Amino acid sequence: MIPVEYELILSTALFCIGLYGVMVRKNAIIVLMSIEILLNAAILNFVAFSSYAPPAGDPAGQVFALLAIAIAAGEAAIGLAIFLALYETHGTTELDKIRLLRW
Amino acid sequence: MLENAWLAWMILGSPLIAFVVVGLIGRRLPEGGAHVVVGSLAASLVIALYFLVQVLQQGAIGNPTATTVPGFTWIPGDPATGEGAIGMNLLIDNLSAFLLVLVSFLSLLIAIFSIGYMHEEAGKPRYYAEIALFVAGMLGTVSADNFLQLLIFWEIMGLCSYLLIGFWYHKPEAASAAKKAFLVTRVGDVLFLAGILVIWNVFHSFRFEEIVQKIPVLWGGAYTPQLALLIPLFLFGGAVGKSAQFPLHAWLPDAMEGPTTVSALIHAATMVKAGVYLTARSFIFLVPIATGGGILVQAVPWNAILVIAGIGAFTAVFAGSMALANYDIKRVLAFSTISQLAYMFLGLGAGAYLMASEAAHGSTEVATAGYSAALFHLTNHAFFKALLFLAAGSVIHAVHTNDVRAMGGLGKLMPWTSKTMLMGALALSGIIPFSGFFSKDDILAVTFETGASNPLFYLMWVAGIGTAFMTAFYTFRMWLMTFHGEFRGHGHPHESPRVMTSVLIVLSVFTIASGAIAFLTNGFGNLIFYEEPHAALPLITPLLEGNVVELALTGLSLALALAGVGLAWAVYGKRVISPSTFTKTPTRAFLHSMLVNRYWIDDWYNAFGSRTVAGFARAVDWFDRNVVDGIVNALGRGGVVVGALSDLFDRKVIDGAVNSISLETIRSSLALRTRQTGQVQNYTWVIVLGIVAILVLAVLLGILPRILGRP
Repeated sequence: MIPVEYELILSTALFCIGLYGVMVRKNAIIVLMSIEILLNAAILNFVAFSSYAPPAGDPAGQVFALLAIAIAAGEAAIGLAIFLALYETHGTTELDKIRLLRW
Repeated sequence: MLENAWLAWMILGSPLIAFVVVGLIGRRLPEGGAHVVVGSLAASLVIALYFLVQVLQQGAIGNPTATTVPGFTWIPGDPATGEGAIGMNLLIDNLSAFLLVLVSFLSLLIAIFSIGYMHEEAGKPRYYAEIALFVAGMLGTVSADNFLQLLIFWEIMGLCSYLLIGFWYHKPEAASAAKKAFLVTRVGDVLFLAGILVIWNVFHSFRFEEIVQKIPVLWGGAYTPQLALLIPLFLFGGAVGKSAQFPLHAWLPDAMEGPTTVSALIHAATMVKAGVYLTARSFIFLVPIATGGGILVQAVPWNAILVIAGIGAFTAVFAGSMALANYDIKRVLAFSTISQLAYMFLGLGAGAYLMASEAAHGSTEVATAGYSAALFHLTNHAFFKALLFLAAGSVIHAVHTNDVRAMGGLGKLMPWTSKTMLMGALALSGIIPFSGFFSKDDILAVTFETGASNPLFYLMWVAGIGTAFMTAFYTFRMWLMTFHGEFRGHGHPHESPRVMTSVLIVLSVFTIASGAIAFLTNGFGNLIFYEEPHAALPLITPLLEGNVVELALTGLSLALALAGVGLAWAVYGKRVISPSTFTKTPTRAFLHSMLVNRYWIDDWYNAFGSRTVAGFARAVDWFDRNVVDGIVNALGRGGVVVGALSDLFDRKVIDGAVNSISLETIRSSLALRTRQTGQVQNYTWVIVLGIVAILVLAVLLGILPRILGRP
């Protein structure tokens, strides 16, 4: 059985990659993909702890993982729809060009 | 008891109604409502006569009667005992029943005369309304049963005298004369009011009848000798103002600025007679009656009586002398009124003194002669003074001037006026058998008799007969200058209309007849008296009793009066003596100018007004400006400084705090909003850094386990 630490290290690595992508990349599609990576890092944690939890694992983690995957799919769909709309109105999906949240 | 007693209210009610009617709709009535007023006064006269007859039938001759006609309770007193209640009731006794007839009769005649006299005047409704109110005031004054009610009607009269004297208010002299009359009598009224307050304080009642009963009870207790002196003096102060006695005489000659009929009303029937009436009513203080009859000698205020008689005697000479050198026909009459009223006060004072001193010497008989003589003179004077004034009015109506120097020779042109005025002049001079003779002689006789008790009264008697001489002289000087010789004026004077002369004729009959009242009633003192009747026929009783002294005195005063008439005839009739004789030497000229200028008393009053009072006013003004204003201004400035400080605090500290908070908010928000970039990733950075910072802090503070929910 793979020790839980390995899984957590992988999860942390994934989280850091995702966070880096969200904070640094300008292309909205890539940011969306980075968010998916962040989500996957969190889901990996659910799965890892689900199998690790004594005495014989806890299926609740897996349920949560499946739920999160479903929600992530919905999120991706909404995110892509927003970007499509953004592209139609602003002609770009570069995030530093879009200042809709400004005062 | 009187029948139909409630009708007594109509005596004063009827002129009051006339006042309201004429005041409201007089403009639309013929002659400005004169006939309404005449009718109402006639109604008053009829009702007053009805009561006089009743009073006489109940044995008023030789007996006192008194009926209180209930009115209403104005201020209820103690709910249990009724003590201290103030009501409005009428007192109908010998005196008031008689005076009600006298007043309403004379007022009626004067109102009738006014129809002719005021015919061409504008503002007749005003005139007649005020006349009606004036008469209602006098009728109320003489029929009041308590001092407060008396004061109310007394003040109504004061108001009406002001209005009527100032009838021609567009004339500055008339306006100022009206003011003078009002203000000078006010001085007396204040004293009267003070007296009334003292009376209330002592007796807790204003009613004459209650006070009479309470005096012996309260004597030595609440009614102290000081108060016994004070109360009559205060009341007399009111009388001095109203009756124009020295030193408050100054208003009456000036009051001649009003229409002559008003002067007649003021001098004959109303106003000035109220003072004499009040003093007669204040006999209850001057000669208090003990419980069970007799005089309470200890409570007699001797000095107050002396003051009353003394002022009377002095004013008689004083006012009589001022009339000697006056050229205004009405002012001569005004001075003679003051002088004759002074006779009445002298009679009242001497009568009170005589009564009290006889009681002090153990006599049980109450000698009321002085009281009766004074009121007899009041009656006679009312008739002949009304006659004189109305005749003077008739003359003025014809020649349009008051100055006797611009008259003369009117006897031929105005026969009725001239002859009737002669009757009045003879009565005023005290020539037998005209009415003035009897009453004046009575007063002088009483004064002389009182001299036995206090020699001061001999001096007053001398003043009295001296006045008799002067009166005869100035009266005939005036009459001769008006009616004798050649006409010195302008225009063509003619006799007055019938409505005026007929009134004069009626009055001249009464001028003779009023003296006969004394014979009809076996002495006037038998009809109107204080406590006990005094049956003595003038002239006849001393003759029968062989009272040589009294007859000699009568002869002396008559001789002096005749001498006065003779002197006037010699100077102004026959012109044996030139009038310039009176101003020949410097001394005489000085005396003359002193009389012409009324002893400069009016000037003194004016000087007092303009210098002393105005000086005082200036001093007060200075004080006001510099001290009071200084304090006020200092306070104001202090307030301003405090306000400025408060303002400063408000602006700098409070506003400053508020403003700076808002300013800093704006400034910081301006700075902060640059952080609001709108870049999603900037926010992400902030969020991430924030979480990291929280985590670092939590680790550093060692609270991470708690955040994570581990114990």
